[in-house]
Amino acid sequence: MRAFLAGARIQLRFLRSYPDSLIPFFTAPMFTVIFLMIFRHAGRPDLTAYATVAPVFIALWWLALFNAGWSIQIERWNGTIEMLVAAPSSFAAVILGRITTTTMIGVVSFAETWLVARLLFGATVRIHHLWAFVATIVITLATMAGTSVAMSSLFVLTRNAVTFSNAASYPFYILGGILVPVSVLPHWIRPVSSIVFLSWSADLLRAALRSTPMHDVGFRLGMVALLGVCGFALGAWAMRVILVRVRTSGELGTM
Amino acid sequence: MPAMEAVVVEGIRRVFTPRKREPVTALDSVSLTIPVGEVHGLLGPNGAGKTTLVKILSTVLLPTEGRALVCGHDVVTETKAVRPLIGIVFGGERGLYTRLSARQNLEYWGALYRLSGPQIKERTAMLLDRVGLTDRADQRVEEFSRGMKQRLHLARGLMGDARVLFLDEPTTGMDPLAAREFRKLVGDLQDEGRTILLTTHDMVEAETVCDRVSLIDRGRILATETPRSLGSLISRFQRIDIEDAPDALLAQLKLVAGVSSVSPQADGSIRIEVNEDGATALVLRHLVDAGITSVKTSLPSLEEVYVQMIGERGLVV
Ligand SMILES: Nc1ncnc2c1ncn2[C@@H]1O[C@H](COP(=O)(O)OP(=O)(O)OP(=O)(O)O)[C@@H](O)[C@H]1O
Ligand SMILES: [Mg+2]
Repeated sequence: MRAFLAGARIQLRFLRSYPDSLIPFFTAPMFTVIFLMIFRHAGRPDLTAYATVAPVFIALWWLALFNAGWSIQIERWNGTIEMLVAAPSSFAAVILGRITTTTMIGVVSFAETWLVARLLFGATVRIHHLWAFVATIVITLATMAGTSVAMSSLFVLTRNAVTFSNAASYPFYILGGILVPVSVLPHWIRPVSSIVFLSWSADLLRAALRSTPMHDVGFRLGMVALLGVCGFALGAWAMRVILVRVRTSGELGTM
Repeated sequence: MPAMEAVVVEGIRRVFTPRKREPVTALDSVSLTIPVGEVHGLLGPNGAGKTTLVKILSTVLLPTEGRALVCGHDVVTETKAVRPLIGIVFGGERGLYTRLSARQNLEYWGALYRLSGPQIKERTAMLLDRVGLTDRADQRVEEFSRGMKQRLHLARGLMGDARVLFLDEPTTGMDPLAAREFRKLVGDLQDEGRTILLTTHDMVEAETVCDRVSLIDRGRILATETPRSLGSLISRFQRIDIEDAPDALLAQLKLVAGVSSVSPQADGSIRIEVNEDGATALVLRHLVDAGITSVKTSLPSLEEVYVQMIGERGLVV
């Protein structure tokens, strides 16, 4: 826990000195504008919920992944990764603390995108199921952070973690049904999509914005949480394995 | 019972296998024992394997073969027990968060070494003071000079209150006064009962702070001795230096039994080397008889031992 908090604290300090890592706050509202324009043009105002939820998910997931890569990269640049590994605290817990912090800050992009939707398009986002909505966000954030740790363990193996993490975000946008519903994906890809927590989260959030009653909220939230726990467990395990590997190869400190 | 040996290295071998290139044996059957409270120096040319050994002991790198213990704990199988006990200073420009201030760097490492909030504050202030960085504490590290970074490295390594400290070239880049302060600091740390393993290229530093030194070359330890007795490895005998003497006397000295060489030095003085017990006394008698009293006898310095044992190989690594 202390490692987690230490990670959170250092992350706040890093964010202040590397403000460029907060770029999604800038891009999220742009995506809203693009999506809303397309949907309006196509005559589908019913898809407004997609247009306002998708940019937030893109921003949040990008932040989580980017920070997973970037946390590792910063350690390499500064030449601190070896010392971090040799410190008594769990490496995975420190990274989790860092990613969670940024992702939590990312929630601000909800306000941003909705404000843009309101001001430019007069589209009001109404939350019909407040508790389901809040619960989904909280659990999704934790899950994002947990899953990112799994990704960051892979980034330890690459020399240019940031580039890699950028590219790694796109498949999740598709599989997570963030903008395009999973139901329009080819059949064979749907099972894969159901193990991507984003697909459950995005469905839940959109449902919470609709006036129709929600079904199986507990089960679906449970799935998000379960996938998150699995992600983190897998990540922590992979991190241990990979750290042993780089300690064997001697590539930990190399840039 | 607490382990009396702070560091035990048994037959460590480390091979690097870089992609598409020949494997490099960085360490080869290295064995070494460092008792608690000792300041141990690791001397050797570039690429000798010093950093590799330090990294293995600090759990960053795994040995290919052999075993190493720190305070009785295996560095491969008991990393959890080893890590809280050690402090690491890998010198150089890297190893610090350059965009954070000195204080923020230390606070972060304090947290990772599981100190409580008040402990972190207290130790940070104390260590900043100890390395003379209090005035610069809130400045970003990227604005620091090399020597200032080096001091911060040192403070960072001490944050966790380690029992065993690994210092890899801790004084490179420090000015002479800072280096002198560093030596004093090492003495203080030793008085507190800590064990220190330090690598250095500075022979005077090794001579002044180390209880024992190990000479290492091409991955093998050549000798482990006190800096003084290491001199006897290349010569058991004293050398006699005189400022000046008539040629006739020098010719006569060359004939004294046990004198191996009489050679003028670069600074104009003359050095007489002997290779037999009792020869020194004979030489001294000759000199005094000839009226020469400004005489200095000495054992080989650590630097000479180093040069002799490693061999003059210029810049070849
Ligand atoms: N990560 C690595 N991959 C491949 N070879 C390595 C690696 N690290 C060290 N080596 C090799 O191992 C040998 C020992 O290197 P090491 O850094 O331990 O030397 P050193 O004694 O610390 O030298 P210096 O005085 O220059 O710091 C060298 O031949 C070096 O090239
Ligand atoms: Mg070295």
